[in-house]
Amino acid sequence: MSHLFEHKGAGGKGYSQPESIMPTDNLQIPSSLIRKDLPKWPRLSEPEMVRHYTWLSTRNFGIDTGFYPLGSCTMKHNPRVNEVIAQLPGIADLHPLQPEHQIQGTLAIFHEMQEMLGICAGMDAVTLQPVAGAQGEFTAIRCFQEYFRKRGELQRTKVIVPDSAHGTNPASASMAGFEIIEIPSQEDGRIDLNALRAVVGDDTAAMMITNPSTLGVFEPEIAEAAEIVHAAGGQMYYDGANFNAILGLTSPGIMGFDAVHYNLHKTFSQPHGGGGPGSGPIGVKSHLAEFLPGPVVKRRPVLSGDRLTSVNKEWWYHWQEPENSIGKVQQWHGNSGAVIRSWAFYRRYGRDLKTMSQHAVLNANYLRYKIMQEAEAKGVGHLFCDGAPIDVVKHEFTLSFAPMKEEMGIGAMDIAKGLLDRGYMAPTVYFPLIVPECMMFEPTETESKDVLDEFAIKFVEVLQEDPDVLHAAPITTKVRRVDEVYAARNLVLSYPFDEE
Amino acid sequence: MVDQLPNLGREKEMLEAMGLSSMDDLFSDIPEAVRMNGELPLRGPQSEEEIIADARRILGANVALGDRVNFLGAGLNRNYVPASVFQLITRGEFLTSYTPYQPEVSQGMLQAMWEFQTLISELLCLEVANLSVYDGSTAAAEAITCAVRVHNRKATQKDTIYISELIPPARISVIENYTQGGGVIVKTLRHNSDGTLNLESLSEAAGSCGIYVEQPNPLGVLDGGLTRVKEIIGESTAFIVGVSPVSLGLIEAPGNYGADIVVGEGQALGSPITYGGPLYGIFACTKAYLRQMPGRIVGRSIDVDGKEAFCLTLSTREQHIRRHRATSNICTNETLIALMGAMHMSLLGPEGLQKLAQRNMAACQLAKKKLSEIPTIAIPHAMNCHFNEFVVELPGSASDCIAYLDTQGLIGGYDLSNWYPQRRNWLLVSFSDQTKETEIELLTAHLAVWSASVSPGVSA
Ligand SMILES: Cc1ncc(COP(=O)(O)O)c(C=O)c1O
Repeated sequence: MSHLFEHKGAGGKGYSQPESIMPTDNLQIPSSLIRKDLPKWPRLSEPEMVRHYTWLSTRNFGIDTGFYPLGSCTMKHNPRVNEVIAQLPGIADLHPLQPEHQIQGTLAIFHEMQEMLGICAGMDAVTLQPVAGAQGEFTAIRCFQEYFRKRGELQRTKVIVPDSAHGTNPASASMAGFEIIEIPSQEDGRIDLNALRAVVGDDTAAMMITNPSTLGVFEPEIAEAAEIVHAAGGQMYYDGANFNAILGLTSPGIMGFDAVHYNLHKTFSQPHGGGGPGSGPIGVKSHLAEFLPGPVVKRRPVLSGDRLTSVNKEWWYHWQEPENSIGKVQQWHGNSGAVIRSWAFYRRYGRDLKTMSQHAVLNANYLRYKIMQEAEAKGVGHLFCDGAPIDVVKHEFTLSFAPMKEEMGIGAMDIAKGLLDRGYMAPTVYFPLIVPECMMFEPTETESKDVLDEFAIKFVEVLQEDPDVLHAAPITTKVRRVDEVYAARNLVLSYPFDEE
Repeated sequence: MVDQLPNLGREKEMLEAMGLSSMDDLFSDIPEAVRMNGELPLRGPQSEEEIIADARRILGANVALGDRVNFLGAGLNRNYVPASVFQLITRGEFLTSYTPYQPEVSQGMLQAMWEFQTLISELLCLEVANLSVYDGSTAAAEAITCAVRVHNRKATQKDTIYISELIPPARISVIENYTQGGGVIVKTLRHNSDGTLNLESLSEAAGSCGIYVEQPNPLGVLDGGLTRVKEIIGESTAFIVGVSPVSLGLIEAPGNYGADIVVGEGQALGSPITYGGPLYGIFACTKAYLRQMPGRIVGRSIDVDGKEAFCLTLSTREQHIRRHRATSNICTNETLIALMGAMHMSLLGPEGLQKLAQRNMAACQLAKKKLSEIPTIAIPHAMNCHFNEFVVELPGSASDCIAYLDTQGLIGGYDLSNWYPQRRNWLLVSFSDQTKETEIELLTAHLAVWSASVSPGVSA
């Protein structure tokens, strides 16, 4: 164990700085504002700092380390050229308040991204401003809210979410001031149209849903659901976390949705180490475009007097405020660096984004098949069942280990820990909430058949493991099972200097 | 594309294993009526070499701040970030991980974030910090909703928050979007003509859920009066301060003058400006607010062998558990950028931070001295101490002045009529550790020429 705060080098300057451009002995700081004690930050030289963080990195698991089938999170390979591009001064060293003539290149890329995202989702207008999926949800719900306010439909105070929804859906709608109506799914995990019919009415503002669902299953009756909600005067919101399954195959627009968010950090590979950054643009149908957060990028043919560069010989790109904009959800123009990386990712595929989705789905189905087959062969097929019984899944699938829990006392979390011992990141556990002892697998398109074959074997090995071993797992990791209850009962949220 | 898909060419083999005959079989569950037919109407795929060439060409058409002499800041500052930060952040174990749901294989990131919490706590002198929210503006908005949750029951001014009238419209807009759903009433706090907070009118805010002010304020003014705020508003009104983290190498930490929640834009520590994102929002508070905080928090724990270990904690506040009753909808945050911040802070150390603050402040001070020598311009808040930026009052419109400076190769600053429409002649000029004396001299010379040219009766 190495602690950052135990470094107390005397000099303590990790990088030496040039002298100030004028003497600093009389900066005229009001006496009440002079800082008395400097923060207890560590004192490290550069070699010590580099070694500390390199050491920490060796205690962390990323996609680069190994297979990371974390369902719902689309942990695909992050192409490295995108990192190089995002550090070019033409994006890294740019200020969001620079005048338009200095940023035509960025605006051109943003415009291309707005168009591309609109096409892929079947939406008419796109804003790149929201910085994560949850913020995209919130932004779209705010647009719905202003739409209804403009129409005088103030009684629309309810947002419907299926019980299989991700937690951000209800949290975002609730933040915007809506009441949440949760509807149960059918036995097989699919949306229950009767339950939906029973709750819609003239107080319905919207329904939020993802398709494929959080069970990895395509909702065949999605168009009917949209019809029911629209007939009641509500709006349909598409949670784009599962967009990786359907590019070029169907679209939220075709299914009848009015608004959608994209998780660029999932579908378009923006790296989000440790939990972020993301980027959560939204697309909307034309009736909502006037409410989007502003500004959005537009273009017009060049005029004489425009300052031309290599990117705007034909078009002049400019910011424009939507007419009845909800305003801003982030101070500037969103996570622009993530948008640029996602643009580089898009350029790699172009129209073959469809092939990407096909491979994501191919891999998910193949892995599911392999696990089932291997489990049958080893006689442990009865220990789990499908989260949703279905012939084909989309980009991810769920398995319930309730039978195994029942029979042997081994639950999804124990299996997860057994996988860690075999060098894998565990699938998502205990989500969606409607599947007991759930594990959700999302291999993504960037894993080879060989990796999937091997994983299926290792996975079934875990199921055959001695229950005592699994209860004690993991044993090969840097620390063993961490006591989360202890952490919550004995809150130590920062380095306890006084323990020294 | 080819280089990203390991199973290209192996589709048939995989499909056959499953007893399927074509890719289409994988999508047989999508009803005909909702299928997209034909190709996506998009361009064809490109190779890595073509992509990087296009990126260089297109982004090369931008004017980067470093291409010019630059005085644009307005809350984002172009500080130097050491090379080792950029090198270390590309380590795949950090870069390509996600939220540490499995702590046993995520100790590196968890510990780094626990250390980040400590660095921030120490910087602000507050007990708890989270792992970041999206940016400085959402941090302010989340602080306000947090204050309402904590104080509304006992507040005599229910659902009411006061914010400084100087807060820029974009930040106010974010705050309004975040608070309107909860029915929060946002009122404003007045400032004196010297830029400081009007403490006489502050007593109006007593009994509300909280007040939000910034130090330095959006005009760069460091306001000594803020140290008296808490005694005026009282215990049951949250004192929320937005800070520039670098300034705290010299300026008292708000936790030491009564702040309950401190937020800020972390960018200047660890991150390039990147056209305004990704950045990271700092969020810290006293223990009294802990259970109403937004975002992820790391706690120290032990493993089954009693060995020190880290994990996410207090998750019952969060959306994945509390759903519509969560303290915030935030899930994906800005951890990787916060990690860059932690690395930068580790390199600085206490004395390095102090020196960095001195360099920023000295640049601002020197500029104030030089610009105040121009007879045709005024510095309205000159009697105050500034950090990073201050206002210059011009004899003509700021937008004309910026256009002129642009022709001279300078990014001259920010036209404050965008924030305060009646202030057509106010230019906000910003200086950082990267500002050179010769650049300040150049700005002074050009401003003198332009100001004289628009001032009747003055010859340059
Ligand atoms: C199904 C689903 N919806 C919404 C979200 C929220 O997205 P974000 O984490 O980008 O805010 C996620 C991911 O975390 C998700 O998996």
